[in-house]
Amino acid sequence: MPIRWATFLLPLIAVAADFNREIRPILSDRCYSCHGPDEANRKAKLRLDTEAGARAALPHLIERVSTEKKGMRMPPLSAGAGLTTREIDSLKQWVNEGAKWEKHWSFVPPVRPRIPGIDAAIEARLKREGVALSAPASKATLLRRVSLDLTGLPPTPEEAEAFQKDESPNAYEQVVDRLLATNRYGERMAMRWLDASRYADTNGYQTDAERSMWRWRDWVIDAFNKNMPFNQFTIEQLAGDLLPNPTRDQIIATGFNRNHRANGEGGIIGEEFLVEYAIDRVEATSTVWLGLTLGCARCHDHKYDPFTQREFYSMFAFFNNIPEKGKVFKYGNSPPFIAAPTQEQESKWAVLTASAESAERRLATLAPEIARARTIWEKRAGPVADWTPKRKLLWQGQAQAKVHGKVIAAAGLVGAQQFDSQSYLDAGDVAPLGYYDQFTLAAWVNPTAPNGAIISRASDKEEESGYGVYLREGKIQVNFVLRWLDDCLRVESQQSLPMGEWSHVAVTYDGSREAKGIRVYVNGQPVKLTYLVDDLNQDFATKDPLRIGAGNGLRFEGSIADARVYQDGLTPEEAGVLGTARSVSEILAGATRTPAEMRKVEWSFLDVHAPPFLTAAWNQYWSTRDELRAYSGTLPTVMIMQERPDVRPAHVLRRGAYDQPGDIVTRGLPAALAAPSGVTNRLALARWIVSRDNPLTARVTVNRLWQMLFGVGIVKSVEDFGSQGEVPTHPELLDWLAVEFMDSGWNVKQILKTMVMSRTYQQSARVTPELLVRDPENRLYARGPRFRWPAEIVRDQALQVSGLLVEKIGGPSVKPYQPAGLWKELSGGADYERDKGEALYRRSLYTYWKRAVPPPGMMTFDAAGRESCVVRENRTNTPLQALALMNDEAYLEAARKMAERMLREGGVTERSRLARGFALALLRPPSVRESTVLLASLHHYRDRYETDPAAAGKLLAYGESKADPDLKKPELAAWTMIASMILNLDETVTKE
Amino acid sequence: MNSLTRRHFFGKSAHGLGVAALGSLMNQDLRAEGTFPNFTPKAKRVIYLFQSGAPSQHDLFDWKPKLVQLRGQELPDSVRQGQRLTGMTATQASFPIAPTMYDFKQHGQSGAWLSNLLPHLAKRADQLTFIKSMHTEAINHDPAITFFQTGFQLAGRPSIGSWLAYGLGSDNKDLPAFVVMVSQGTGNTADQPLYDRLWGSGFLPTRYQGVKFRSIGDPVLHIQNPEGLDRSGRRRFVDDLAKLNEMKLEDYGDPEIGTRIAQYEMAYRMQASVPDLLDLKQESKATLDLYGPEVSRPGTFAYNCLLARRLAERGVRFIQLFHRGWDQHNTLPKQLPGQCNDVDQPSAGLLEDLQQRGLLDDTLVVWGGEFGRTVYCQGKLTADNYGRDHHPRCFTMWLAGGGIKPGITHGATDDFSYNITADPVHVHDLHATILHLLGVDHKQLTFKYQGRHFRLTDVHGQVVKAVLS
Repeated sequence: MPIRWATFLLPLIAVAADFNREIRPILSDRCYSCHGPDEANRKAKLRLDTEAGARAALPHLIERVSTEKKGMRMPPLSAGAGLTTREIDSLKQWVNEGAKWEKHWSFVPPVRPRIPGIDAAIEARLKREGVALSAPASKATLLRRVSLDLTGLPPTPEEAEAFQKDESPNAYEQVVDRLLATNRYGERMAMRWLDASRYADTNGYQTDAERSMWRWRDWVIDAFNKNMPFNQFTIEQLAGDLLPNPTRDQIIATGFNRNHRANGEGGIIGEEFLVEYAIDRVEATSTVWLGLTLGCARCHDHKYDPFTQREFYSMFAFFNNIPEKGKVFKYGNSPPFIAAPTQEQESKWAVLTASAESAERRLATLAPEIARARTIWEKRAGPVADWTPKRKLLWQGQAQAKVHGKVIAAAGLVGAQQFDSQSYLDAGDVAPLGYYDQFTLAAWVNPTAPNGAIISRASDKEEESGYGVYLREGKIQVNFVLRWLDDCLRVESQQSLPMGEWSHVAVTYDGSREAKGIRVYVNGQPVKLTYLVDDLNQDFATKDPLRIGAGNGLRFEGSIADARVYQDGLTPEEAGVLGTARSVSEILAGATRTPAEMRKVEWSFLDVHAPPFLTAAWNQYWSTRDELRAYSGTLPTVMIMQERPDVRPAHVLRRGAYDQPGDIVTRGLPAALAAPSGVTNRLALARWIVSRDNPLTARVTVNRLWQMLFGVGIVKSVEDFGSQGEVPTHPELLDWLAVEFMDSGWNVKQILKTMVMSRTYQQSARVTPELLVRDPENRLYARGPRFRWPAEIVRDQALQVSGLLVEKIGGPSVKPYQPAGLWKELSGGADYERDKGEALYRRSLYTYWKRAVPPPGMMTFDAAGRESCVVRENRTNTPLQALALMNDEAYLEAARKMAERMLREGGVTERSRLARGFALALLRPPSVRESTVLLASLHHYRDRYETDPAAAGKLLAYGESKADPDLKKPELAAWTMIASMILNLDETVTKE
Repeated sequence: MNSLTRRHFFGKSAHGLGVAALGSLMNQDLRAEGTFPNFTPKAKRVIYLFQSGAPSQHDLFDWKPKLVQLRGQELPDSVRQGQRLTGMTATQASFPIAPTMYDFKQHGQSGAWLSNLLPHLAKRADQLTFIKSMHTEAINHDPAITFFQTGFQLAGRPSIGSWLAYGLGSDNKDLPAFVVMVSQGTGNTADQPLYDRLWGSGFLPTRYQGVKFRSIGDPVLHIQNPEGLDRSGRRRFVDDLAKLNEMKLEDYGDPEIGTRIAQYEMAYRMQASVPDLLDLKQESKATLDLYGPEVSRPGTFAYNCLLARRLAERGVRFIQLFHRGWDQHNTLPKQLPGQCNDVDQPSAGLLEDLQQRGLLDDTLVVWGGEFGRTVYCQGKLTADNYGRDHHPRCFTMWLAGGGIKPGITHGATDDFSYNITADPVHVHDLHATILHLLGVDHKQLTFKYQGRHFRLTDVHGQVVKAVLS
């Protein structure tokens, strides 16, 4: 039988029926699904969610909910939602007292109540209940509680001892200030924010391949550590890209709303997923900041809260205008994204940029000198060898390729070869280019038929995988294909190549995986392209050889000369030089020069004929440029928010379906929130969200922080402040905290400090049987919080007390211990490859998060799945947790290292060593009874391992770190079991 | 000593397992909102043989002889009715009809049609109830499997097994209520991954999530003690740990401590019950032979079927097998025979074995994938090759066992197995029916989350009465 909070505590106090606390929850839960805001499904034209509607119903209300007459009773008993006697009594009392109506509590902006603070609010309520606050927790218990709460890591025994000895009245406050000032604080705060933002290292959905959002994660840690005001923290994440002259960090912050899952599965309909992404953003944003379940209004008007479906799509309209595709790249980040160097990388980037710029400047400065020297050279030069760009030339082996069929030498160009409708060249396993590579394919061609293959590394069947440049009805067509139709890219020149004459064709690709990353040059001039298919999302590399004159089932009729592959996209200038028909000597001999010919002469001069200092400057220009570009390619990226220049219209979607568009809607907030007009873009939305006019954000935020410290929110449904959510247990306290938070300038550290400085927080967690029966969930706060630590803290603590923890802020995610095979058995692809060394011992918020197979060590301890936004903390107590703490390699290694510390740091007696273990994990000495059990246990295991030293060796072999060779194995094994027992204690894994 | 607490929690025995339920004192609203079953169940447990990737109804169950003459012709627009296609074939220039290349025969007294790819199941035709009119809304694997598992296309809601674990609890205190096993077929060995969240508990407490029994390493994560610590050493550990935790319980009075003590004891028991479950030496040769030659190889569908029976015997509520490899887009004739061979004899053997032990009467067996496959060919239709794309508008599943009327066919499709012509059964209807067979009214099994009373069938679902015995 579920016990509702209201029915459980209210009988203790005899007061007038409180509408928001008692009456609205009954009406909402039992009546609104048929008599609420949802107009389409409203029965009997009766609504009980507005004052007017309820007043109209009042005369018959009590009769209808209590009658025994069949067919009259409301709600119908068949619906399984009949009212309880207690609920009927409450309604009667409310009606008898005049049926006072109030606006839903959370939509009324909070005003500072006349209470002096947390303890006053808690004690006022306790006084009514005839209960008192519990005694303060012991200093050691409190220190452990507050350290783990604010930093996620336990203090050292030495810190505990210092605190014990410090009798100054502000000793505790100093500890709190110190904890809030550590960088561990930001890591701790980021844990729950990652859940809220559905952060992960993979894209989710079918392939669930890697993405890279860790630079956003590090932004979050940094923002918490800098104590960025929560309003700024909000604005930058929701709309940093729209701020005037945003910094790179402000743009990185917008990754919040790109953390959702994204689908690259073959065959999906892009439009469908564009809708899902925008809806996900509305849901995450409204859950995290507004505590509203707007998602309910996706398919119909909200059943319980005053939000219409149309209003939902008005919110949707803030988030659907990103220049993105519904079908994303299967692997890696999908546009829009930016390079997001770390500080260290930023410095190196700056150095490389500076040197590239300086090399460019130097070349420009030398221009007169180059011109002078070149003129002299030109005058003296006799016949010179021709010159073409050689930078990054990967393959130029037409002459060496294996001939298939009849290929004969052709006239017109050096090395030209003529093909018939059967013949081609096979250059073998060269130029294995893929979709991340930048490259150029080029050749001179003289076609005699409008269809044919020029150069390809592709299957020789029609429309199968690989890359290639073809002629189609005279037009130049570029294909990159993994699977034709849904995983490929195709562009085509708008103009045709002339038949029966030589043209130079060059195709460059910038590795962007997008059609717009391709350029086509004919005779050195860029040509206009038609983008036929732009749906590439996997690598297109094949085992087929590089072929000249063949590929895709096509052959080339005519002649080809000087086919080349470059391992870079040539610049337009380079493509121009390459597409120049005349040789250097011919140009020198001629009367006029095109700009490309001019450049060809100059580059030929600089490369081969110039004085060494000029050649050096020229080479320096290219090498610094290439080095900078190569480095830029290695920088991490992060997906971000951006606005499209044109506004994508937003429609009401009938039944929430992407293919059922209804009316077009404009951006705006639900009327019930009473936002001013003019909130018409994301930035304005973000600013309104943290404005004082918004009744929700401050309440919702302090409530979540309260949940972090006390286990349950003042509003238990931290994600729902609507009429189906719980009412606050301490409404005045919630409002006081909310106003205090806003008045402080949305200062997160300060409001947390206010909470942990309260006597309420500092109480002992001991509970009497009477209080347990009366208040099992501790919603009255007559005792301190006591519940299991979250997944990350359970593991991080074990790493810390064993001395294994490697503290380093940020960076790519790491792969600590995980049983082998978990990825493989589900996806059939590559298995989890665990890291080595330091990466095994980083804090858990850095653990690689694969959505399809989340880290089991986290999931076993109730971590949120990161599929969608989750803000409620969930705690269970299962045998799988016991198995993990006892047998997981990570905890076995931690136990061994902790045992080594007990032996090394704990003096020479068994008792002092045991005391050291307790001090490390629990900051207190063991009791006499505890010692008796543990020492008996120690002797037991020592006997075992002395009898069977081989077993000791096996037990000590877990984990990558080596056992201390100076310690005797049976002794260390016995102590390892004791350390393991300490790590498994309820007290160790529990906030107390 | 807190005598009230202690008496309440432990009864007479400090290690009594009654403690397990006590966490609920702290978690009132974590229990099912109501009392289940709502009425007398016909089945006590479910074995759900999920065929992941979507088996072709055309080549296994839904025979359409008229297609032979239409081979290679365009699918008439009157049949397709402008329905959406996946992005893989939506832009395909032509939609040639591809009749099955396998022979169909009628079997048993019921006269059910089955293709020659399923000879063992054919022999049990009279035990099977075919639903030929299944349909779904999703057109791609991930949303479609998620829909079958949770009643919603997007991840985040509880899976059907979690709902049942939450509503009905477990009949075995030493094993989880919801167990999952995964195998890879010989058909399409690429792509089509599965996800842990498919058996996740969504917004229900995580203790209701499916526990995956693995074929590599520990069958249950961390079930094995480390090397160098035997079972008696672990017994001592759990006992001593309990003593220490009891001191804490006396001191603090927090019932969660009692639950934790109990969960360590449960963990210790699972360390015995799981290996016992996996100890196939107890099986006779005759039994093993029922499942075919692969039964002794861990990780195969046959092995998992045998384990399913052993789990059913032990009272596990929801046993779900996922067999991958049914996604025959291009080279169906190359892939399908092997893929069918993987499952044919084991599925039939499982039915026989359950029947021999009297378990089939109260065990519901469900067999099927996440959608069907198209009548038209994906890629080139040649003399010896064809492929089929995803088809959500109709497909076939079969049910057997507890509460099911055996040997009938429910629903029908048109001559192209493209549209349903009689008795459509939606995924929500199947869910409602499964719950009904377990004695649960699908409208009453709810959980309040984000202000709404959620249920597996959302606001839909009709029990398919015609298939009930």
